[in-house]
Amino acid sequence: MGNIESLAYFIPELILTATVLAVLFADVLGGEREGFDPPANFAFVGCVAAFLAHFTLYSLPSTPLFNGILIHDPFGAFFKGFFIFCTGVTTAMVIVSREVARFKKGEFCVIILCVCIGMCLVAASRDLLMIYLSLELMSLGSYVMAGFSRKIGPSEEASLKFVLYGGVSTGIMLFGISLLYGLTGGTSFEAVRSALAGAGSGIEPIAFLALLMVLVGVGYKVAMVPFHFWAPDVYEGAPTAVTAFLSVASKGTGFALLIRFFFSVFMQPAEGGWATLAPLHFDWGLTIAVLSAITMTVGNIGAYPQTNLKRLLAYSGVAHAGYLLMGVSLMTSTGVEAVIFYLVMYLFTNMTAFFVILVVSESLGTERIAGFRGLWRGAPVAAFMMTLALFSLVGLPPTAGFVGKLYLFYAVLQQKLYWLAVIGVLNSVLSLYYYARIIKAMYLETSSETEPAVHSSPLAGLILIVMAAPVLYFGVFWNPLVEYARYCAHLMQ
Amino acid sequence: MHLLEILSWLILALPLAAFAVQMAVGARLPRYGDFISIGAISLSLVFCLLVFFRVIVLEYSPDYVFAVSYPWFSGGSIEFRWGFYIDNVTAFMLVVVGVVSTLVHIYSVGYMHGEENYHRFFAYLGLFSFSMFLLVLCDNLFTLYIAWELVGVSSYLLIGFYYTKHSAANACIKAFLTTRVGDVFMFLGILLLVLYTGQLAYHDVFNAVAHGEISGTVLTIAIVCLFGGAVGKSAQFPLHVWLPDAMEGPTPVSALIHAATMVAAGVYMVGRMFPMFSQSAEAMLVIAYIGLITAFFAATIAITQNDIKRVLAYSTISQLGYMVTALGVGAYTAGLYHLMTHAFFKALLFLCSGSVIHAAHTQDMREMGGLRKKMPITFATMLIGTLAIAGVPFFSGFGSKDAIMAGALAFGSEHGAHMTIFIGLFVAAGMTAFYMFRLIFMTFYGESRNQHSYDHAHESPASMTVPLLILAVLSIAGGFGLYGGLWFNHLVVPPALQEAAHAAAEHGGEHGGAHGEAWIHYGAMGLSIFVAALGIFLSWVVYGVKWISAEKTAAAIRPIYQLSFNKYYVDEFYQKIVIAFVLWIRKVLAAFDRIVIDGIVNLTAPLMRGGATFSGGFDHYVVDGVLNLGALIVQAAGSVSVMLQNGVIQSYILKAAIAAAVILVVHQYIQFWL
Repeated sequence: MGNIESLAYFIPELILTATVLAVLFADVLGGEREGFDPPANFAFVGCVAAFLAHFTLYSLPSTPLFNGILIHDPFGAFFKGFFIFCTGVTTAMVIVSREVARFKKGEFCVIILCVCIGMCLVAASRDLLMIYLSLELMSLGSYVMAGFSRKIGPSEEASLKFVLYGGVSTGIMLFGISLLYGLTGGTSFEAVRSALAGAGSGIEPIAFLALLMVLVGVGYKVAMVPFHFWAPDVYEGAPTAVTAFLSVASKGTGFALLIRFFFSVFMQPAEGGWATLAPLHFDWGLTIAVLSAITMTVGNIGAYPQTNLKRLLAYSGVAHAGYLLMGVSLMTSTGVEAVIFYLVMYLFTNMTAFFVILVVSESLGTERIAGFRGLWRGAPVAAFMMTLALFSLVGLPPTAGFVGKLYLFYAVLQQKLYWLAVIGVLNSVLSLYYYARIIKAMYLETSSETEPAVHSSPLAGLILIVMAAPVLYFGVFWNPLVEYARYCAHLMQ
Repeated sequence: MHLLEILSWLILALPLAAFAVQMAVGARLPRYGDFISIGAISLSLVFCLLVFFRVIVLEYSPDYVFAVSYPWFSGGSIEFRWGFYIDNVTAFMLVVVGVVSTLVHIYSVGYMHGEENYHRFFAYLGLFSFSMFLLVLCDNLFTLYIAWELVGVSSYLLIGFYYTKHSAANACIKAFLTTRVGDVFMFLGILLLVLYTGQLAYHDVFNAVAHGEISGTVLTIAIVCLFGGAVGKSAQFPLHVWLPDAMEGPTPVSALIHAATMVAAGVYMVGRMFPMFSQSAEAMLVIAYIGLITAFFAATIAITQNDIKRVLAYSTISQLGYMVTALGVGAYTAGLYHLMTHAFFKALLFLCSGSVIHAAHTQDMREMGGLRKKMPITFATMLIGTLAIAGVPFFSGFGSKDAIMAGALAFGSEHGAHMTIFIGLFVAAGMTAFYMFRLIFMTFYGESRNQHSYDHAHESPASMTVPLLILAVLSIAGGFGLYGGLWFNHLVVPPALQEAAHAAAEHGGEHGGAHGEAWIHYGAMGLSIFVAALGIFLSWVVYGVKWISAEKTAAAIRPIYQLSFNKYYVDEFYQKIVIAFVLWIRKVLAAFDRIVIDGIVNLTAPLMRGGATFSGGFDHYVVDGVLNLGALIVQAAGSVSVMLQNGVIQSYILKAAIAAAVILVVHQYIQFWL
């Protein structure tokens, strides 16, 4: 499809771009005057508009866009909505919090919107060059965002570690991409795939090396063990809103990339899912499965000794990356559906948890578990929401987390990977302990100091309710979401 | 490889190499390496002349085209190529750029002698020449845009060469930003074209236009946007404000960039895209009127300025206006012809003014006077340049300007309402003659008004006067074969869209010039001779024999004089408008914040209260029993993972690399076993 016609499929991104300009403009004009904060509000309004606009995408047919450099399909449309939603929530968090200095909010919003555009492009790319460019667009912004906190020291350290680790990983990934290009001489997924399919089995070792190198880049994005080391340090140091964004949207990008790239380049459609391309014999699904088992175990065990909540949730995020990888490793459409469902669940759950941490830590000045002691007396709403989120993270009914895990394990069992299912279930049980520790602190322990008093604005409460409600709702009425996930699992090759 | 291809590469490579060498080691070379730059540009000039010889003389044909392209990059199903496109226009532009560039290089040896960062000056000149050659040679819009910006950058560097001087530093920023405004439009125009046609190369775009892939309003918008780039670069109204300030740069720079080459780039671009531009009558009209406004108002400003370089700057703006008008009314050949003649005589005038400034140590014409006897060569050559620009017969400017007037007259006789264009140009031509001779009289005639500087004045060294003489010869010779540009007419034929060649020919690509009716041609010629004579005579009356006092006249028409002297307050207008606009936007934004956002926030308060009451009843003891499950065992395992997480980023990266290698090895073994 040509450039002009493609624009109809590009409306959310266009709205985001326009919002970037509007925010930039408002920021320049707004200056540093106190009590004058339209940039962030503009950004939020822009996200809402873009999110609403993304619903128009579902009615459009799947087709390559912009002369084949991007693609439109339900899978891409889902991720666009996902990223825009995350961005909107994060912007709202920034608006209600004081983490980002007031006069820097406009700047922050410009960056996060650009990151969001990058993410949307990642989900829709079907060209090696485009994938890399859009990944860099989101990564570079993320690095800056991680350093946006008022707490100069830790935030800067987080940002620097993020840059270094990210730079190395994407560098390795780029090397992998260049290997693929060298092997096939094409940059579009189609060209690469047909060249790989046409090649003899002699290219297998190099092809796998390329795959592994790209996997390093993806693994870093989703915080897969052993490429997760950056996550705890960065999550702890970055502003809470950014941590929430990274833990959900950045992870989502990783999965969008993993599925889009690997399934389009190294796989071909088969009965009920995908199979490795004919001349390549390697079963990389197994590799992913093993890595997913390692990832969830390391994540859950690493979370145990943590006393800082953000750090704890970082390890929990690693563990969840493991669960999600399980779904990818199956290479079935049921697996992809489960991943999509799980991501939606994870979005609401994790955002709720981080939002509570944000509100509480701003009032109490601490992110430690000990600071949450007796929270239910001072802030019953916050404590309840946090509990709900934690239940969902564990996977207890009647929360969305339970349904998400249910579908994941169902998909795994369908492929008869019993060992993986067992490890997954054991891990869920393991995770109960450290999540429950927080709940215990909130309800059963009492603060040694005075009663914790949490002050939050009505707006913050509203956002919290909007975020937490679906956790409960989808835990009870999950069918619409399952249908949606089934629709969105359609990948155009 | 074709000879022209090799020559093109060489023409580009030599100045670029000179730039690189000068930047790297220029400071340590004997004579600061000026001979390298001059050698490189001279060789480039030789190659330019070879191209010219080959294209114009040996293989001449009215629509000669040599094109070669190389793959550049691809995205999706579009492949981008870049390459060289050489036709008659390219060949003559190469010679213009090469000649002026080389002469300015040589002139700078004398003018910049002993300046700090002498080598860097030559480096920048090299960069500029490279960019300009690229701009002329390239075959597609994207490369054109890159060259366009490179030219802008080197212009920025050269204007700000005396970067410690506050005014120069300001001027270079102003020039860069103002032209950027135009460039943004140009980029939009290019994007529009690419969006609709998917093509970048001139020819493919023309073909697409011929096929109607882009037409109507969109085409007009695209053309006007593209023209926006020319408005910036060629200092057309309303973006002309940067050019007079750019005179802060060293005088050779003014001659090279702000008279002969860079400012002509806009005109060249319009000429290059002419087949497409001529498809939209509305856009052409916009172009014609922008050119007219520029030509007219710049001329009125030039009359009252006292700084010798500023007079020339406004005169340049005015002459560029002429070229743009010519293209706008369809007098393609005349516009490009004037571009060439103007390049020579304006470069000459600037270099002469440099020579004068060099001698008198001031740029204020009121401090000069009587320099004729001290600087005979400068005087003679400057007089030649002035006669040329004033449009006196047998000098180059006459032929080209006359052709433009004829074009405008033909256009006016065809569309009666647009006779304004001709009348405006006609009056401006009179003013041109007037202010140029005002410059001559004030500088070279009469008594010296500053005895001290007069005593120290002397003729410039040969490195400066020789380029003057060469340019003076060109300023006369450029006019040979004149009267509508007989030879030039054959050299540069108005191009038409390839596929629509017949249609375009019927429409008559050229309205005026040689194809016009005889009365138009001779009428325009007679009128322009008359008006030039009138301008010169008035100037002589006022500034030569001083029958009429300039001061009294100025006092008599004081409001108008002030308006002109203050350049119609355009700069002040920009400052006022921008600030008022910014303040207004701020108010709007603040109102949005107060009304919309605060309204939403206030609405949420009641909602919140309901939520709080609801959650109070949660039974928190439920979780109690679950908590102590298997806690200690796993806690121990956790500390192992924490040991790996030691906070040192180097070790993280190392671990990740090792892990990746392990995965690779293990995977290969597993595959082996399976």
